[in-house]
Amino acid sequence: MKYTNRLFNQKEIYDAGATNRLFAAAIRENAQFHYENCPEYKRILDGFGFRPEELHAYADLARLPFLPTLYFKRHHLQSVAPGKQIIKATSSGTSGSMSKIGFDVKSLNLGRKMVVQVGRYHRLWSATPVNYIIFGYQPTRENKTAISKTAFGFTFFAPALSRTYALESTENGYALSWDRVIKALEKCEKSRFPMRTIGFPAYTFFLLRDLKEKGIRFQMPKGSMVTLGGGWKQFYAEKADKQTFYSLVKEVLGIEESNVIEFFGAVEHPILYADCRYHHFHIPVYSRVIIRSPDDFSPLPNGQAGILNLLTPMMQSAPLCSVMTDDLGVLHTEQCPCGAKSPWLEIIGRVGIRDIVTCAAGAEEYLKE
Amino acid sequence: MILCHGEILPNSRQQEIIASLKDTAALPVVRNEPLTPETVIRACDALAQRILNGDFDTTVKPFLDLFHISGGQFEGMVRLFTRENLEYKCSIELCDDERVIGGKVRRKRYPLGVLLHIAAGNVDALPAYSVIEGLLSGNVNILKLPVGDSGLSVKLLYELIAIEPLLSDYVYVFDVPSTETETLKRLSDLCDGIVVWGGDAAVKAARRLANVNTKVISWGHKLSFAYAELDASDEELQRLAQSICGTNQLLCSSCQGIFVNTNSREEQTDFAKRFFEILKSVNQSAPPVDYGMKAKNAIHLYNERLEASSENNIYYHQGVSVVIREDKELELSYLYRNVWVKRLPADELYTLKKHKNHLQTACILTADSEKRKKIASVLARIGVVRITSAGNMSRTICGEAHDGTYALREYSRIVEFEVESSAQ
Repeated sequence: MKYTNRLFNQKEIYDAGATNRLFAAAIRENAQFHYENCPEYKRILDGFGFRPEELHAYADLARLPFLPTLYFKRHHLQSVAPGKQIIKATSSGTSGSMSKIGFDVKSLNLGRKMVVQVGRYHRLWSATPVNYIIFGYQPTRENKTAISKTAFGFTFFAPALSRTYALESTENGYALSWDRVIKALEKCEKSRFPMRTIGFPAYTFFLLRDLKEKGIRFQMPKGSMVTLGGGWKQFYAEKADKQTFYSLVKEVLGIEESNVIEFFGAVEHPILYADCRYHHFHIPVYSRVIIRSPDDFSPLPNGQAGILNLLTPMMQSAPLCSVMTDDLGVLHTEQCPCGAKSPWLEIIGRVGIRDIVTCAAGAEEYLKE
Repeated sequence: MILCHGEILPNSRQQEIIASLKDTAALPVVRNEPLTPETVIRACDALAQRILNGDFDTTVKPFLDLFHISGGQFEGMVRLFTRENLEYKCSIELCDDERVIGGKVRRKRYPLGVLLHIAAGNVDALPAYSVIEGLLSGNVNILKLPVGDSGLSVKLLYELIAIEPLLSDYVYVFDVPSTETETLKRLSDLCDGIVVWGGDAAVKAARRLANVNTKVISWGHKLSFAYAELDASDEELQRLAQSICGTNQLLCSSCQGIFVNTNSREEQTDFAKRFFEILKSVNQSAPPVDYGMKAKNAIHLYNERLEASSENNIYYHQGVSVVIREDKELELSYLYRNVWVKRLPADELYTLKKHKNHLQTACILTADSEKRKKIASVLARIGVVRITSAGNMSRTICGEAHDGTYALREYSRIVEFEVESSAQ
């Protein structure tokens, strides 16, 4: 783990280019570990006739066989004993099935270092207490989805005066409670401490739109933030134009665009991506992005849309070194005025999002995911 | 957007109108003489002529582009609604002649009454088509639009009523999401028959919705396939590939995969490779597949490769694939130009019978007409309802049956009167 540790100790988190060699070495080290400790991963690499030691240089990373998130939904892969996996997270199951990934102490420690650095860079850490409004699930013993844990985790960036959840656990499962959220917002406006919202962009958007239609306006205390995470999920079809979204935040909550921050990550790639003030997801040193062509999975040049392949050496407990997501994205290398040197990632949607409505298909029930 | 008594109204009036239908929906069929097919044919013919003249080009063109429907295909579809074709359809399906049986009983066809059409969204004008079939058989029609409906069906029905105002009490269109089960239940209670288009889930939902005394007519999920002898010619395979690329395997009649009459894995592999080369080349001259769909299939196929035992073989190139499978099941493909190839010796064709009402079209690929006849006869006996040659799986012909039956007859009932009786 020496290369991985060095990678996660980097102070300059958005200068990916400067750490390319280190990153490649860390991936080799990580892939080798999984190859030796996860028989299924070994079987897959052997099937491609690929050995981790073939990763000599950064350019070789694209040759490392990737695993689709779909594979993790059907197979529980682990490289450390179950007893060593102290947290088990599942994906949110947008398409019906969920990935189960265990986190061991070493992986979590690396994750903690990453969160500290990312939080510092984006000024998320604050000693001033804040009121949290979480547009997501209330975490419970049963709810293992990463998004609810992450949302809860985010409430430690600044001391919490209060936490209000939009989706509250009730006897009959989760229930959406707009009224309670609106009451909480009213309280936040009167508070002398800032407010932070956390949660799914779609819910945040729908709530704000609802408030706007009702003619409700707030002027939240200085330092208040809107933080978004979890992607647009089933709502891609209604995905709001981002600029419309920021105007809505300003109009309804009185919060400036520069205080709206979006996060991106996945159970199968647990790296914290946070957007800069120009709303670009710069690639942190802990991660690399390869955009691949659906024709033959060859890497596409920067600026072209393709399937998003994410790499990180962070995880010891499961072979997540190279994961193919269900997202379509573009990698941009244009200089960003925010000053971050890393290229930035734009997510443009999910694969196959155009609904298949067909009498032959009998809807998705027949599309085995 | 809803349609009621020939007027397009805002959704906000939907509940109020639905409530009022409880006592009024069935009135036209109860009080009046049955709506004659002639009234409907006249209106449809006038509308079809206007469409063919280009009066609706600005409305229609975007949908054709969206669904990759060529001008020629579209004209063929519109021609189905001309007088000549509708009269032919009615002559086959309605059997409207009043026949006297044994000198004692006179027989006459009547509409079922009120039909609720639960439409699917895979073909854009399909909801309107379903309503027109309901009208031809004389019924009052309540249409529940599919999610994400483009508005084309409402527009067509609106124009139809403008041409023939007599139809205005026979057509209602509502925009009720499938999740609003209470409203759907209220609509279903008004009906004598529910006409449901869609997958198994939609059909099951419609059956749950229907009262015991409500007829459910389902145009549901269908699976179609090709059955090939090893002597199938490249030309036949090419026509099959064209139909696969032309429909993207989305229609009930689209080929999902090919059963090959062999027990040999080697022959199966050779056949699969041969078809793959043909499919690849046809794909290059067809309009490109939606990028996101191609990406989704690429991931699924890659995943299948990771999961596969060594027996599986996947041939993949730029979104097109042929997958060699070891089982003998009829199943949905990944769609969008991705085909499975399985071994199924002719004497095991009967195993497909278990798919019952899911079976629809089969094309037979062989150079030998004797073999073709034999296979066709087996396919017909096990439940396939359309047996075609390679390029014709998804053809539309006026007067053809629909999923093994005639829609207009399904929407009708036969009333028998004793000859002495003067009742109608």
